[in-house]
Amino acid sequence: MALIDWKADMVRCERCSNCKWVPWQKGPGLEFAQVCPSISKHNFHAYSGAGRYHSSLAYVTDKIGYTEGWLDIIYHCQMCGACDITCKTNRDMEPQEMLLALRAQCVEDGQLVPALMDVMEGLKAEDNMMQSKKADRGNWAKGLKVKDLTKEKGEVLYFAGCRISFDKELQKVARTAISVLKKAGVDVGIFGKEEACCGGRSYEMGYQGEIESFSENNAAMFKAAGIKKIVVSCSDCYHSFKVLYHKIGRKLDIEVLHITEYIAQLIKEGKLKFSKSVPLRVTYHDPCHLGRLGEDWIPWNGVEKKVMGQLVLHDPPKVFRRGKYGIYDAPREILRSIPGVKLTEMKRIEEYSFCCGAGGGCIDSDPDYSLWVAKERITEAKTTGAEAMVTACGWCERNFSDAVNETGDALKIYDIIELVEQAI
Amino acid sequence: MKIIVCAKQVPDPEAPYTAVQVNSDTKEISTKGVAPVINPYDENALEAALRIKDENGAEVVVISVGSKISQAVLRRSLAVGADNLVVVDSPQFKSLDSSSIAYVLSKALEKMGEYDLILTGRQAGDWDLGQTGLILGEILGIPTVNLVRSVKIEDGKVVAEKILPGAYELVKSNLPALLTVSSEVGELRYPIAKRKIQAYKQPIDVWSAEDIGVDSDKLVQIDMSALMPPPDMGRDCQFIEGDSPEEKGKNLASILKGG
Repeated sequence: MALIDWKADMVRCERCSNCKWVPWQKGPGLEFAQVCPSISKHNFHAYSGAGRYHSSLAYVTDKIGYTEGWLDIIYHCQMCGACDITCKTNRDMEPQEMLLALRAQCVEDGQLVPALMDVMEGLKAEDNMMQSKKADRGNWAKGLKVKDLTKEKGEVLYFAGCRISFDKELQKVARTAISVLKKAGVDVGIFGKEEACCGGRSYEMGYQGEIESFSENNAAMFKAAGIKKIVVSCSDCYHSFKVLYHKIGRKLDIEVLHITEYIAQLIKEGKLKFSKSVPLRVTYHDPCHLGRLGEDWIPWNGVEKKVMGQLVLHDPPKVFRRGKYGIYDAPREILRSIPGVKLTEMKRIEEYSFCCGAGGGCIDSDPDYSLWVAKERITEAKTTGAEAMVTACGWCERNFSDAVNETGDALKIYDIIELVEQAI
Repeated sequence: MKIIVCAKQVPDPEAPYTAVQVNSDTKEISTKGVAPVINPYDENALEAALRIKDENGAEVVVISVGSKISQAVLRRSLAVGADNLVVVDSPQFKSLDSSSIAYVLSKALEKMGEYDLILTGRQAGDWDLGQTGLILGEILGIPTVNLVRSVKIEDGKVVAEKILPGAYELVKSNLPALLTVSSEVGELRYPIAKRKIQAYKQPIDVWSAEDIGVDSDKLVQIDMSALMPPPDMGRDCQFIEGDSPEEKGKNLASILKGG
């Protein structure tokens, strides 16, 4: 849907400010009550979901045009979906969808951010979001004995994603995932250097055309390899394959699993057993794209009807994605099943998780802002008394690791698969 | 030496086909979630200009005429080595025909003063009309060569290779001259990081129709009688099964024979 199609929601937003806060019923306490990184940092209404609704309304009614200030507001957003979920605590509105339409409008109108233009140039030329050479994509798997699914058939594909493939410090996540899956007896394969971006991050940056070609290419590769199951460590890739491909009308007829879901399944089936203790007090960070944004896409083809002159209803009734059915249990089940690991929760968890800061292109367009958000989350993690923060997404791990390196905090940052391997 | 490169902002010709929407009612083509780009042939023209600058030394100025021009997109020209950027932006310039755009460019060139060489792309990647450059040469009354695949400056004259079917013609002309450049010149160079940062801070000239004295009565909007999407040709992708390349080959042959 185009930006103008969300005008009714823009009008309906009455500045209740739910988009800024974790619902009080959840008892987040004053210190960790804020749910939106953008308003937390800028402390100005325009940087909230509601503020963006109102500025967009001014734009679609020709009251404002693009300005440096407005673009700053638009692009200082992680597209984390927190405002979308908290808005829906008492409204049937979808700020996230409006924000996506707003970004797409900016891109179509050439209202671009130079840093993101560079990322997109890299994506077009080298099929990745890391401004790296496509030829180097499979380097993380050097020396690993793993099936190449571009040459052989296989049922389970491990899809590394751009961040984990190219970030040298994170390549261990992919190598560990392969090692763990093989130990569980999974006949897993990879695409190596032939793997291409899922297209998800560019979609959220507003370049929504790109996902069309990447989804087509990926679907063809999956089909050619005869894959039945895709396993990903990256939450962005997970969201892309499971949600975005469905949303744009290219639903995959393949099971999409995050590595946490698959590992939890393997533990239940008795194929993966832990024999070592990992004495560590940890807290778990829910990645946005695995949690609230990781719910199945629910297609709706209907019309909005105004009843009694003001009440807006959907015909047929629209089922809203409220973040409740994201992947929250699997990672926690894994952590609880590892001997020695003690899980303590932060205040903002599950669908009310606070973003790591890397989303929406912010890690590229404004790294300082991105790190500020990560530091906020680290502050929260430290209040739990945890020695380590565990996450399940390469982008989160990157940003948290950078933040910890900068602050000198003793908090360790792990991908969940690293603890799994330590316990086997 | 001053070289002017005319650059048009167009929807990305490399946009995925599914992101391109043809609206027959509004007679407009839109690209969903795709950023505009500098016309690729104009990028070739800029590359030709930069090569002359590298070899002979020159001031390269890029000029763009249109409606709602993205400065972020056009600033790429500065990042690769152009010295200045002039944007002539007006709502009146939306959907102008080629002769009107050439007229607006000629008015902007009047304001810019002296020049030695004008380079344009051979055509634009949106409508592929290929007329603006030649009409501009006519308006300016200067030697004009189209479909150029290489440009050099020798002894104060421009020497260009003009593409012919299966051959090329070597053309030597006095300056000032106008050349329309083809893709054979080569792709635009990649910007270096330091210049990119400078390019987004560098002041540029933004002019309106009034600033260059455009007579609105001389502007002609394209009056399109109809715009239709191409027919859906349908596509069906099959993966040929087989345990060996030979078996796959046999199965493919069998399908092609209709068996």
